[in-house]
Amino acid sequence: MSIVLNNVHQTLGNPPNHILKGINLKIKDGEFVALTGRSGSGKSTLLYVISSLDRASEGEILIDDRDIQKLSKEELHRFRNENMGFVFQFHYLLPELTALENVLMPARKFKREKEFEKKAINLLEAFGITQQLHRLPRHLSGGEQQRVAIARSLIMKPRYLFADEPTGNLDSQNGKIVMDIFQSINKNDGTTIVFVTHDPSFAQLAARQITLVDGEMTNTK
Amino acid sequence: MFFLAWRHLTSKIKQTMLTLMGITLGTAAYITISGMMLGFQTFILEQLVNNDAHIRISAREDFITKEKVEKNIFPSIAHVFWLSPPGGLRESAKVQQPQVWLDRLKKDSDVLAYSPQLVAQVLVRKGGASLTGRLIGSEPAKQVLVTNIQKYMREGRFNDIATAGNKIIVGEGVLNLLGARVGDTITLASARGEAVPFRIVGSFSLGVKTLDETTLFAHLTDVQTVNKSPSQISDIAVRIKDVTKAQKKAETWSAFSHDKIKSWDQINEGTLSVFKTQDIVRNAMTISILIVAGFGIYNILTMAVNQKRREIAILRSMGYEPKDIINLFLIQGLILGSTGSTVGLGFGFIFCQMMSQIQVSSQRMLGNGKMLVSFDPIIYVKAFVLGFAAAIVASLLPARAAGKLEPIEIIRSEAS
Repeated sequence: MSIVLNNVHQTLGNPPNHILKGINLKIKDGEFVALTGRSGSGKSTLLYVISSLDRASEGEILIDDRDIQKLSKEELHRFRNENMGFVFQFHYLLPELTALENVLMPARKFKREKEFEKKAINLLEAFGITQQLHRLPRHLSGGEQQRVAIARSLIMKPRYLFADEPTGNLDSQNGKIVMDIFQSINKNDGTTIVFVTHDPSFAQLAARQITLVDGEMTNTK
Repeated sequence: MFFLAWRHLTSKIKQTMLTLMGITLGTAAYITISGMMLGFQTFILEQLVNNDAHIRISAREDFITKEKVEKNIFPSIAHVFWLSPPGGLRESAKVQQPQVWLDRLKKDSDVLAYSPQLVAQVLVRKGGASLTGRLIGSEPAKQVLVTNIQKYMREGRFNDIATAGNKIIVGEGVLNLLGARVGDTITLASARGEAVPFRIVGSFSLGVKTLDETTLFAHLTDVQTVNKSPSQISDIAVRIKDVTKAQKKAETWSAFSHDKIKSWDQINEGTLSVFKTQDIVRNAMTISILIVAGFGIYNILTMAVNQKRREIAILRSMGYEPKDIINLFLIQGLILGSTGSTVGLGFGFIFCQMMSQIQVSSQRMLGNGKMLVSFDPIIYVKAFVLGFAAAIVASLLPARAAGKLEPIEIIRSEAS
């Protein structure tokens, strides 16, 4: 088991809003998981708790048998950098940097950008960004921006890719391109992918769907 | 994070230039204001320190009081009733036991030179013109070692009065007021005697109008004759090896002497307090300018932090630590501070050069009548440190605020 959640609760705000209610979940290495549910069901919150961006109010989150909530800040930053990739609904590209420079930002954290430059170019070319390597994000289309963001999340060859509504801001054609990329890296690289979507057609592309209703898992297919 | 900080700054070049301008102007203003004020102060200090003694030993003015008279004249009478109580100065001021002083100064290893003087108020006349002057009698060979008077001679040499014989050197202002020239004869009269003729053998210009219009130098013996006070001296001007120790030395000597002993800074306390006030005003002005410039940096970086919340969130999700985010904004402050201050040094230097070319007086004084501007390197060091520090302090707060941002909070606020 690569990711294990034991009785995870998440309460936010004042007055307290109980968003996740006793989630127990196991995600195997190399799984392709879709988190679905209505708006406010807690699917994004669950994703952020699993991915260590948020701390659970209660419960245990084990990744590779290590409780990530008990890691020191330094260990957690390093773990995220080397093992996790994130894709958000909005691309969050750094507007001052070119497409290639954006992709190399995770590697730059540990001054390994030279080492990863060739890989970054290959990734971008594989995602159809060949002529726009040295362009700023504002000169790219929405679909291209999201593909650059995905390339950035994959540059360190993470074992886990977390995506929050990665297609939410794209048209259906670009949405399909993104999902094709996800399927490809899951199949070819064995990357564990957990993504949130409210689109049933994209959710169906995942090997496993987890549906949340009012902070509780109702089914898992 | 230098790479990203640099990109942040260069991507908004107009905003960056405006911020830089604030620091540049602040630094340049400090250099220009300091250069002008310190230039002026240096000139005045030069006058105070080198044109007069480092330490002046002078006669204590002793006043007659009824208590002193009763004690000495009527020691056995309990109550003396005066119709008109005695008062006023006891006698003409003179240094007590001058020879003891001269011997002591000769042996003191801290003393570089000393010059006994007799200073007298005299009425100076030439034809129908007259003025009240301050006649300084000295031994020229000793006097030139104590002050820089030789440097300010315009005509003749100070040693032209080395021997007695009613020769006199006067300030250029005295010449102008009397309509006299070198070679002319003038008469001097003290309060005690009649007018005595003196031949002008030289002139000087100290660059201080009030001194140039009132000061006259003659040989000590001649002044003693005019003043009818043979072998008396009223002052001993002393030059010591280390001018900074003048006050301490004066205090030490005061402990065992009845005479009045003052160092140059004690004598000119009023002028020096004006300088202190000037320094306070100068520093306050500069700090105000730098605070404004600092606020510019603070505002711009605070706006940048708010505008870049998403980028901060994604950087944190990539594994960048809070300290990396702090560094990102702090480095921007460092770049702005160091560049702005460095450019400001250049501008400040150019402004000072321009200022130093401005003619402010037709008088031949230090700087040939041009504005005196200090180019002391310490001004430039201070200006750089101030500009740089303002930038760092101003960028610390936004940088720390950015470092505290948690990615999940940003993502949640973006979602809502």
